[in-house]
Amino acid sequence: MTSAQNAIAVTGLRKSYSGVDAVRDVSFEVARGEVFCLLGPNGAGKTTTVEILEGYRTRTGGEVSVLGMDPARGQRDLRERVGIVLQQCGVQADLTVAELVEMYGRYHTQRRRVDEVIELVELGEKRDVRAGKLSGGQRRRLDLALALVGDPELIFLDEPTTGFDPAARRQAWSTIRSLCSLGKTIFLTTHFMDEAQNLAARVAVMRAGEIIAAGTPDELGGRNLRPAEIRFSLPTGWSLGDIPSVPALERTLEADRVLVVTTEPVLSAQRITTWALERDLDLGRFSVSQPTLEDIYLELTRADPEEAVR
Amino acid sequence: MSSVFAPPSLRRDLSLVLWQIRYEQRAYWRNRGRGVFTFVFPLMFLVIFASLDKGRHISTRGGISYDDFFVPGILAYGVIATTFVNMAIGTAVLRDAGVLKRMQGTPLPRWAYVAARIGSTVLIVLAMTVLTLALGAAAYGVHVRASTLPGLIATLVLGSAAFTTLGIGVTRFIPNAEAAPVIVNLLVLPLTFISSIWFPPDQLPKAMNDIAKFFPIRALADGLQFAFDPRTLGAGLNSADLRTLAIWAAVGIFLMVRFLRQPLGEPAA
Repeated sequence: MTSAQNAIAVTGLRKSYSGVDAVRDVSFEVARGEVFCLLGPNGAGKTTTVEILEGYRTRTGGEVSVLGMDPARGQRDLRERVGIVLQQCGVQADLTVAELVEMYGRYHTQRRRVDEVIELVELGEKRDVRAGKLSGGQRRRLDLALALVGDPELIFLDEPTTGFDPAARRQAWSTIRSLCSLGKTIFLTTHFMDEAQNLAARVAVMRAGEIIAAGTPDELGGRNLRPAEIRFSLPTGWSLGDIPSVPALERTLEADRVLVVTTEPVLSAQRITTWALERDLDLGRFSVSQPTLEDIYLELTRADPEEAVR
Repeated sequence: MSSVFAPPSLRRDLSLVLWQIRYEQRAYWRNRGRGVFTFVFPLMFLVIFASLDKGRHISTRGGISYDDFFVPGILAYGVIATTFVNMAIGTAVLRDAGVLKRMQGTPLPRWAYVAARIGSTVLIVLAMTVLTLALGAAAYGVHVRASTLPGLIATLVLGSAAFTTLGIGVTRFIPNAEAAPVIVNLLVLPLTFISSIWFPPDQLPKAMNDIAKFFPIRALADGLQFAFDPRTLGAGLNSADLRTLAIWAAVGIFLMVRFLRQPLGEPAA
């Protein structure tokens, strides 16, 4: 086996449809054992990129290496070692959960035990139910089971928790984390920012066929360097000018709500709360917040590129 | 590059094909809707038509009984239903549901999957044939003749090959699964009326007759009827019908390979 350091390496990837670039100059790397997340609005080129990595689509240009192989060559060895959970992908509806896991397992020379996989995705109670009779969330868990039965090194998850209720999503996340602890590499695409925040070691954001930002969820788009926002309600009779001076970039009052934007949230919060406690004031719904990954994402993917650059 | 995985061997792949046939069979017989279409309809037609023409003889064919014409005619219809109709609708459904795409992402070679689906179809055709011929023998006294058995088998084999491969190949021209039953029946039903399935085409206008002779339905029905015709001497091999079926089998294989070579990931251009 070629000892490629990275599970995935993409350099200058380009894909065009009748002369129009759907993906252009995309480069990134995914380390072995890492959870990597590709984010982006619909039509950004996420699915095109993933399906090139999975071997479903050919590329127009650039270099792609998945587990040291070129997915465009459709090598069986690669398919032995990769598990794929596609977005909305049907299954033989007349077969039961256990039959399907067994059937897809047979295709692999190295595979996991059927019952072990069914337990892992918590479909034990449904093992003898036909796939056509499962609920949406159960079907998605079956998808995951079918991708895992071949004991893959690398797993592609395309929006794996769409249609899950909050409890089922938490459950899926813990399954994904447990895969990660087994040393599997996971390539995730999702619409849910909390999913990326919770699971991914690194994220990349695509927009209009290009990667516009990449980093850890906490550092994406300079998130860790962004000013914090302090908010609270000011009791009647007090005005913005009464608040002690803090190193703020911005101080506004709207109705009774105060917004203080500051690069020194700890100091600012301390001064404001001390001031309020000394006067026995109740600052309603007091909060300090960093911009969330979602804030950064929305800013990055805004339609007008000029606006995204602040 | 070496691999931690055992190298794929033909022996293992063939055993995968056999396993896959078992799964395909299990899935097939569990779906009742398909059973009605494939098995109940042809047998029902056999009973209805045979009762309507009870005791009648075909004057244009030397006075042979209608039963000797119907049983092989309905058998031809049954073969087309189990191969062409099932394959075309089934493949369109599998394609649209994404099952073909999912299968492509597994280490199972594409040829092995196709071979298993064809193998499963062969078993279904066999069941259909046995059922029709058993009913024909028990209820209508139409028996398989040992002397014309080569003709019966050759026609069934070539016909099944043609209609199975055409069924897969035609999927390329079926835009979506919902349209599949309509398109498939539009291709099959009108032709059956001029193709010696429901009644002898002996008094058909020449133009219609020529159209029917071009397509394989007529060749399959006629080839089987030739093998069951009490007047037939020899092995029951109708060379004109067998030639037509062979040509369509070649067309079917060509269309099937073209369909199978289409990448599933790319959006249709």
